[in-house]
Amino acid sequence: MAKKNKNLDIAPSRRERGGLGQAILGFFLLLYTLFCALPVILVFVAACTDEKTINKNGFSLFPEKWSLNGFNAVLKYGKQLVYSYGITIFVAVAGTFLGLLIMSMFAYAISRKDFRLSKFLSIYLLIPMLFNGGALSGYIIFTSYYGLKDNILILILPLCVSTMNVIILRTYIANSIPNELMEAAMIDGAGEYRTFFQITLPLLKPSLAAVGFMMATAYWNDWQNALMYITTDKKKPLQLLLVNIQKSIEFLLNNNNVPSAARAAMGGTIPQYSATMATVIIVIGPIMVVYPLLQKYYIKRLTVGSVKG
Amino acid sequence: MKDFLSNTWKHRAHIVLALPVFLVLFFIMYVPMAGLVLAFKNYDFTLGIFKSPWAGNHGFANFQFLMASKDLFVRMTRNTVLYYIMFTAVGTFLNVTLAIAIDQFVFKKMAKTMQTLMIIPVFISYAAVTFIVFAFISSDTGIINHTLGTNIKFYSKAAYWPWILLVTKIWKDTGYGSVLYMSVLAGIDSELYEAAEIDGASKWKRIWHITLPSLIPMITVMLLLSVGNVMRSDTGLFYQVTRNNGTLYNTTQVIDSYILNSIMKSSNFGFTGAASLFQSVIGLLLMLFANWLVKKIEPENALF
Repeated sequence: MAKKNKNLDIAPSRRERGGLGQAILGFFLLLYTLFCALPVILVFVAACTDEKTINKNGFSLFPEKWSLNGFNAVLKYGKQLVYSYGITIFVAVAGTFLGLLIMSMFAYAISRKDFRLSKFLSIYLLIPMLFNGGALSGYIIFTSYYGLKDNILILILPLCVSTMNVIILRTYIANSIPNELMEAAMIDGAGEYRTFFQITLPLLKPSLAAVGFMMATAYWNDWQNALMYITTDKKKPLQLLLVNIQKSIEFLLNNNNVPSAARAAMGGTIPQYSATMATVIIVIGPIMVVYPLLQKYYIKRLTVGSVKG
Repeated sequence: MKDFLSNTWKHRAHIVLALPVFLVLFFIMYVPMAGLVLAFKNYDFTLGIFKSPWAGNHGFANFQFLMASKDLFVRMTRNTVLYYIMFTAVGTFLNVTLAIAIDQFVFKKMAKTMQTLMIIPVFISYAAVTFIVFAFISSDTGIINHTLGTNIKFYSKAAYWPWILLVTKIWKDTGYGSVLYMSVLAGIDSELYEAAEIDGASKWKRIWHITLPSLIPMITVMLLLSVGNVMRSDTGLFYQVTRNNGTLYNTTQVIDSYILNSIMKSSNFGFTGAASLFQSVIGLLLMLFANWLVKKIEPENALF
């Protein structure tokens, strides 16, 4: 995509700067930015709000009384929180690296021009995008045939290969890495594997960073596989903690069979509003921190992915 | 044939490189496709999909149940399709509007910061979004009820939910969705604008005659490619954000959330398998149709 000529870009805008139109446009953009950002800020504020204040005044961006008790309550999860963080990080890191490695290997193989099987492999790659077994069939196959119920592998494998990501990597290899480089390496006596690992893979880095970030976020945010397959507490990722908090709130609030005395006795374990919001922060926090740093990469990825070369 | 074999042998290293993805796709994607035969079976947990006996009526009993359960089947299909149409129409309009607005804004640094903030919601999982939505609409502590001084019970009135889900979806996806269109706008030759300005075209005219037409190919392609997903929904939006609340099903149950529910309750697999196959087959047909259309209009952007 051609870049705008910088001088041409700046020249007309200088003239328009400060116009009424720009002020109105800026106002609406700011309004929309607030619409996007305020709910996220609300989570932070609510986590730092006194529980009684929430009960009395409801959630608010300007609470009457602040308190950090919500975070104390979260620490009560203690070990569970450590396990969950561990699982989520392990799955995100292992899955992303495994996926990037095998997908770039595949992308490299099918981008070889005189490789006859590459046509078959491309079609083989494309079919899952068109036709899909769906969640139910997958569930039965994975649990009763592969025995992957409550196995961490089931959090990793389904998200590690995606057709779109392989296409992005293949496009990058075809358009941005000159074939002559690979040929030269071969002439110098490097085997196929060495050529791939020492020449192609390092040159793929920008594209790997972009795809990798998107994969890592997908792993981090995956709640559905965890909900369907994971049962042991020690193997529960962070997102499943959130889902479970939700469930226990509902159970306690909506279940009339639970006598009020019992509810009072369980008082300590009913997740409170501020504590819940503090948990949300702990779950979404790392992405909020990492994302602005990597913003330029994934924007590129999005562009490459949609305009297939 | 001999040619082919020697070519394959020559490229054995490439076959080895391709093997891991081949296997993952085979076991994770292809085997479950075969598992869809479940739709024609009288599923028995102890026998598994392939050994279970065929369903009655030449295997079509499950589909008969599906069709007979009119309310359920019609409701979830209707919801799935209507939400797809609503989200796609509103989403595309807002994505394009936002992209043009940011592109027209001359304070680029400020625009960049705003954009960063607008994209954040897309990275928040629906499991977390559930709590954010709750903070706004809860009946005792929600911001909306407290601000308006009302006591609306959002979680027990199905009629509110198309709007709640629409706003949530807009909030989550619009910032991110506009990035794609912005990259197209960045590619427009600025001489075009200059020439139009010299010819006396107003700002609006320039947007109407230059900006919008240059976005149309991308809009067409994105729309057509999304057609293949008509039958699929953001399960998180419908299962998590609604808290899987039965009283809301009339406006919130979609095929994907129905299937997830049936998995969680381990109930009615034959029937659900039929719904699942229906979903996959319609998806396949629409995808082929959409690709055929893209090929006619923008051959470069066709998937295959």
